[in-house]
Amino acid sequence: MEIGFLGLGIMGKAISVNLLRHGFKVTVWNRTLSKCGELVELGASVEETPAAVVKKCQYTIAMLSDPSAALSVVFDKGGVLEQISSGKGYIDMSTVDADTASKISEAILAKGGQFLEAPVSGSKKPAEDGQLVILAAGNEALYKEVIPAFNVIGKKSFYLGQVGNGAKMKLVVNMIMGSMMNAFSEGLVLADRSGLEPQVLLDVLDLGGIANPMFKLKGPTMIGRSYPPAFPLKHQQKDMRLALALGDENAVSMPIAAAANEAFKKARSMGLGDLDFSAVHETLEALKPPH
Amino acid sequence: MSFLVKTSYSHNLASTAMLMCSSFCPQIPNQFRRRPISSFPARPLFSVSFKALSSQANNASTKDELPARIGFLGIGIMGSPMAQNLLKAGCDVTVWNRTKSKCDPLISLGAEYKSSPEEVAASCDVTFAMLADPESAVDVACGKYGVVSGMSPGKGYVDVSTVDVETSKFISGHIKTTGALFLEAPVSGSKKPAEDGQLIFLAAGDRSLYETVSPLLDIMGKSRFYLGDVGNGAAMKLVVNMIMGSMMASFSEGLLLSEKVGLDPNVLVEVVSQGAISAPMYSMKGPSMVQSRYPTAFPLKHQQKDLRLALGLAESVSQPIPIAAAANELYKVAKSHGLSDQDFSAVIETLKGKLQKQQ
Repeated sequence: MEIGFLGLGIMGKAISVNLLRHGFKVTVWNRTLSKCGELVELGASVEETPAAVVKKCQYTIAMLSDPSAALSVVFDKGGVLEQISSGKGYIDMSTVDADTASKISEAILAKGGQFLEAPVSGSKKPAEDGQLVILAAGNEALYKEVIPAFNVIGKKSFYLGQVGNGAKMKLVVNMIMGSMMNAFSEGLVLADRSGLEPQVLLDVLDLGGIANPMFKLKGPTMIGRSYPPAFPLKHQQKDMRLALALGDENAVSMPIAAAANEAFKKARSMGLGDLDFSAVHETLEALKPPH
Repeated sequence: MSFLVKTSYSHNLASTAMLMCSSFCPQIPNQFRRRPISSFPARPLFSVSFKALSSQANNASTKDELPARIGFLGIGIMGSPMAQNLLKAGCDVTVWNRTKSKCDPLISLGAEYKSSPEEVAASCDVTFAMLADPESAVDVACGKYGVVSGMSPGKGYVDVSTVDVETSKFISGHIKTTGALFLEAPVSGSKKPAEDGQLIFLAAGDRSLYETVSPLLDIMGKSRFYLGDVGNGAAMKLVVNMIMGSMMASFSEGLLLSEKVGLDPNVLVEVVSQGAISAPMYSMKGPSMVQSRYPTAFPLKHQQKDLRLALGLAESVSQPIPIAAAANELYKVAKSHGLSDQDFSAVIETLKGKLQKQQ
């Protein structure tokens, strides 16, 4: 199966490497062309524009960082719309708001193409290991056709109905995740400030009803105040903001998410945007008076 | 009267020791053959001990004896199954509860009843207490006909209630003036883990009392931690429940938002269960929350109490905890709407436009 891939960031690179390793023919594009080098060594082809990729491939997947980048690769000069046509499918795995997804979908359909949004739950390591959770919505026939690729990319796929539902589901999940990270951070700092061993807190948490992989994975590095980016903080804050906007549109009360968003904003203002989202921990750590 | 019990569980026994058990706890069920997880330093599951052949030794503070007579104060959602597990393991248990009728199931299982905490404490070697809040814990321990009045050297008091650090230290101080030993040991886990003997004990205080009661903790729980000075157990429990309360509030926001934007909240529960934030609590509570049902495993009023105490702890060390503060507000609103005795997952109701009528 020949697949086009637009966007070789943390996620895009891991996913396309995974596809190549499983025998898919992949043609890539990235705004910064140099990032394609590694993929080429693994057998990928390169094209210079999104349009050229779409021209070549029946299915094109995109993994961009935010709504503006997702719109750009579709609508700009040299973009997807120049070559999308009947018989071609466009699968956008970026995390965007529902309006952006709808906008892209309409434009693709207007040119006769098929569209599927498919944002993912999971970050760098699950992407490398093909363990993502895929939240697809849109053209159901297209969804079925690309399942062989989804089975390599992820451990489970959901088909959620009309375009926009994938985006919404992703935002809700990441909203909970962002709030949980903040609650966890508060716990670690409070434990430390109360004279407890933060590592023992991790051990206790791991045994009970609120044990989860994120605490287990991030806890030790947070205790060590190290935040290698698996999921950049700026993207987490973007997701919280989009989730709050969704709540806003639908008059849903979300005080916890609002408080968590404030913490992520603070972290960005401290220059921590490119670190892992667990770096929100620094907003509390930095407030500690010296012992 | 005692007899040697040779157990096939040989892991970690010193070469010349055999586990000895008083006849009051003749069988320790097979479920204990598992590795405990405990804080520094690692301890074997069974304290290696010799019972002094001389019957003079009745000092429960030594590791040499398991407590023969066990008191249990507070027979509520948690106390009842915990005491039942002790009884089923063959322990000699004496109970008290403010409302006597709650003790009936235990009496029919062989527990003795005494009409005050003082009498229970006086007639037992070690007395446990599982009470609802700091006020009750202080009242039972230090009030009229309270535990302190019945304590004496050689006895131990193990308070497994969830209270604040100051309350625990207060109770500890009063107990110790009698010459008795004190251990705080609040638990992580609610009704079902209590029934299944799967609680996690967060103990602190007198180390030798901890050693003495460890076999009893192992009957009621799946793991135990010794955390040092009195107050550390209380603090650890509050931190854990603070995180839990915030997580439940956030999860509630997610369920509600998903439904309002046209998604199936059951699918959200499934998606969450597949990913990095998958927690047993979400899978267990999610489905009933979607149906607006909140069968009480952990009463909402206790969750709010824990958040309030966690905020107090944070204030005492000048630590801002904005998410916990926001969560606390929601639980307070829930209480004001009559949801105190529902499960703490009922907090989701406070986010809805129109609150459902609760029975």
